[in-house]
Amino acid sequence: MEFETLLSKGNFMEGKTGVRNNKLTRRGFMKASAAAATALAVGTEQMFAAGSDRIRVGLIGCGGRGEGAVKDCINAAKGVELAAMGDLFKDRMDKSLGELKKDFAANVKVTGNTCFVGFDAYQKVIGAGVDMVILAGPPHFRSIHLKAAVEAGKHVFMEKPAGVDPAGIRSIIATSQLAEQKNLAVVVGTQRRHQAHYIEIMKRIKNGDIGEIVSAQCYWNGGDMLGYWKWYEREPGMSSMEWQCRNWPWWTWLSGDHIVEQHCHNIDVINWAIGSHPVQAMGMGGRQVRTLGNIYDHFAVEFEYPNGVRVSSMCRQITGCTDSVSERLVGTKGSSYTDSSIGYIEGPKAYRYDGPNPNPYVQEHADLIKSIREGKPLNEGRNVAEGTMAAIMGRMSAYTGRALKWDWAMNASKLDLTPPKYEFVDVPIPEVAVPGKTPLV
Amino acid sequence: MCRFRRLLFPVRRRLYERKDDLMKKKLNEKRRQLSRRDFIKGSGALGAAAILSNTGRIFAAGSDKIRIGLIGCGGRGMYDTTNCLKSAENVELVAMGDLFKDRLDGSLRALKNDLGEKVKVTPDCCFVGWDAYKKVVARDDVDMVILTEAPHFRAEHLKAAVEAGKHVFMEKPVAVDPVGVRSVIESSAMADKKKLTIVAGTQMRRIAHLVAIMERIHNGDLGRILGGQCVRIGDGMLGWGPKERQSGWSDMEWQLRRWLFLTWLSGDFICEMHVHNLDVVNWALDAHPVQCIGMGGRQVRTAPEYGDVYDHFAVEYEYPNDVRIEYMGAQIDGVTDRNDQRLVGTKGSAYMDFANAIIQGEKPFKYDGPSPDPCIRQHADQIAAIREGKPLNEGKRIAESTLTTIMGRMSAYTGRALKWDWVMNASKLDLRPPKYEFGDLPMPPVAIPGKTPLI
Repeated sequence: MEFETLLSKGNFMEGKTGVRNNKLTRRGFMKASAAAATALAVGTEQMFAAGSDRIRVGLIGCGGRGEGAVKDCINAAKGVELAAMGDLFKDRMDKSLGELKKDFAANVKVTGNTCFVGFDAYQKVIGAGVDMVILAGPPHFRSIHLKAAVEAGKHVFMEKPAGVDPAGIRSIIATSQLAEQKNLAVVVGTQRRHQAHYIEIMKRIKNGDIGEIVSAQCYWNGGDMLGYWKWYEREPGMSSMEWQCRNWPWWTWLSGDHIVEQHCHNIDVINWAIGSHPVQAMGMGGRQVRTLGNIYDHFAVEFEYPNGVRVSSMCRQITGCTDSVSERLVGTKGSSYTDSSIGYIEGPKAYRYDGPNPNPYVQEHADLIKSIREGKPLNEGRNVAEGTMAAIMGRMSAYTGRALKWDWAMNASKLDLTPPKYEFVDVPIPEVAVPGKTPLV
Repeated sequence: MCRFRRLLFPVRRRLYERKDDLMKKKLNEKRRQLSRRDFIKGSGALGAAAILSNTGRIFAAGSDKIRIGLIGCGGRGMYDTTNCLKSAENVELVAMGDLFKDRLDGSLRALKNDLGEKVKVTPDCCFVGWDAYKKVVARDDVDMVILTEAPHFRAEHLKAAVEAGKHVFMEKPVAVDPVGVRSVIESSAMADKKKLTIVAGTQMRRIAHLVAIMERIHNGDLGRILGGQCVRIGDGMLGWGPKERQSGWSDMEWQLRRWLFLTWLSGDFICEMHVHNLDVVNWALDAHPVQCIGMGGRQVRTAPEYGDVYDHFAVEYEYPNDVRIEYMGAQIDGVTDRNDQRLVGTKGSAYMDFANAIIQGEKPFKYDGPSPDPCIRQHADQIAAIREGKPLNEGKRIAESTLTTIMGRMSAYTGRALKWDWVMNASKLDLRPPKYEFGDLPMPPVAIPGKTPLI
């Protein structure tokens, strides 16, 4: 329809590379990565000519993203071997292993002895003689897995978000500090922080090309994700814990809700541009269409950053709506627009990125491995912890209807979504939050 | 009074407060000192020149009688009538109309108690039913009507009133759909031709501290405006209206008695209530939005007696020159209450709420003057304009502010980004029921983004 096909300057529309395409994007990248691998290998040859060191990787969390991250990692540098795997579920692990063997038989060195299943699988992977782990379990487990990995002296690639509650975020920050002391790398699957056009636009923003930032917007408005994740009906005899774990995206205690699980990408970009986390948040949201698990299907949050800079965040997982996955920053001298494929600045210092755009999913692993091999390990733990915490604050505010301050949420909130125990038994089914009634914890 | 008091002194928690309490106290004291009587005195001093009104009536400025017909005898109708009659001398209520006899009778009793002799309504000047408004505007002894039926009816009532040559005070919002907005714009143009006045009950346009800050904003004290926020959150309105459906009430009557919670009648709360706040944004930017994207839902107020309205909306409005304003609105109890507008420009920022107007930046400003009751003043202005034969027509402006809210609601209901030009000119959304009669009328379904069609 004409009226909505082109909203001026594509402000709402240009981010159409959104959710529904995300799966395609990832698949596309995977295919493209075969070619990219060759190019990268050439480009990076010199880098590790000095050492042909193998990097033995352990994968913790064998879902779509874990599998994808292993492929990206193998494509990112020579010498990467998958040495161990762990997951809560054997069927998921077997499926991932099969897929990985199909494409990367030479790099997959996983044996029957290095495949682990269950709530303690992560400990066994960490103990299986690996150099680095990829943490791609549901966000709920990230802080536990990171802590175990860093304590055991492993480098880490972990998926976003960093956690689902303030307790988890505090743990991530503490562990990241420990990683720094131990000279261990912690790189996070934010993609954008390793994506050429984002890096260039941010450089220009930091250089003052849009003046002083006064306002911003960020969005992840996309579809309901049911084509990407599944909803598993509870089978007879299946414990409610197993059922929830298999349906992790749809439960707040496991995924953090979609504002945390997905929209944290865009909020992280705002933190990056402003160079700070928000100081307070006021949010709203609800579930108007998709009524799975206990997560919402839309959120809108006003974040206030230092110096009174207010940022609007909108995220929606509803199919059939106008989509946008993008960020916009407004300064006294111009504005910037970024999404997963383009970045430009408007104003006196107008600019449009048209350089090469290597696959960020691969690039983040290349950057990680390079940093390890050069002995200057990257540590992005705190960045992603703060980006995730901002999203958690937004969710907490929307769930309760209460305005929140960062300092309170970070230091005083007692919200801890850890279940009584990690066992496949019947645990209560979490309720859907009701603003004004759900208590602020 | 109660409604304005609530507007003035919203219960709020403190997180977003950036005002100093002392200043607020001072303002409140001044507000009390400046009572309605000041206005009455003021309007008496307008002079005594006789002026030929466009309706053919001759008004002697400051003294000649102005006779009011009230259409819509709910709480707001009574409130507006009371203020109007008290805003100037020699203003009388002479006719009343409502859909329901009990509402009309109750209002008449209360108005007589409060206003005594100024209420000249006799039983033969009371009209009930679907055509009550026609009978009120048909009366030769009515100079001006106050339109305070549910917003759904405003466009039709305005048209009838202007066609009959009456001056109009009408409550906001003035429509619930684009079809109604177009009608209001046409009727307003007709009123201009007939030299009739139209004032809309957007009292924020007459709040002294907002008037003062707008002058500065329009004067460029913030520099070029770059963005802003408009937030109104709180009060679930759960106690509003009759809770129980009485036996004998048809579907139609039940919905009319609960009109606040039916989108076809109220426009939903973004339209019904928050048009005030979005009107302030349009005022500040001296424009209407060019496009919007919205979201919303009902997460708390979900019982069937709350009809089909949402309880929260968030809409990003884009104004000319790429200025984006984020609106958040909710009617939910137990949340952090907020009610403020904020604008940020190249040289500073402005903060506005019902008690404060503050500019920070190169040209700081903090309003510290008197705060007369704007709900009285809007009537005083209109009566004075009628008597002086001066043009005063707020019809188009309130129609545009109403469409601003309707557009946000349509975007949230459908999940689709919308352009102003399309909504204003091409949308066919028309929420009128098949017929206006007390009979069966299914409860409309709650909108589902992505599924509810964009019309």
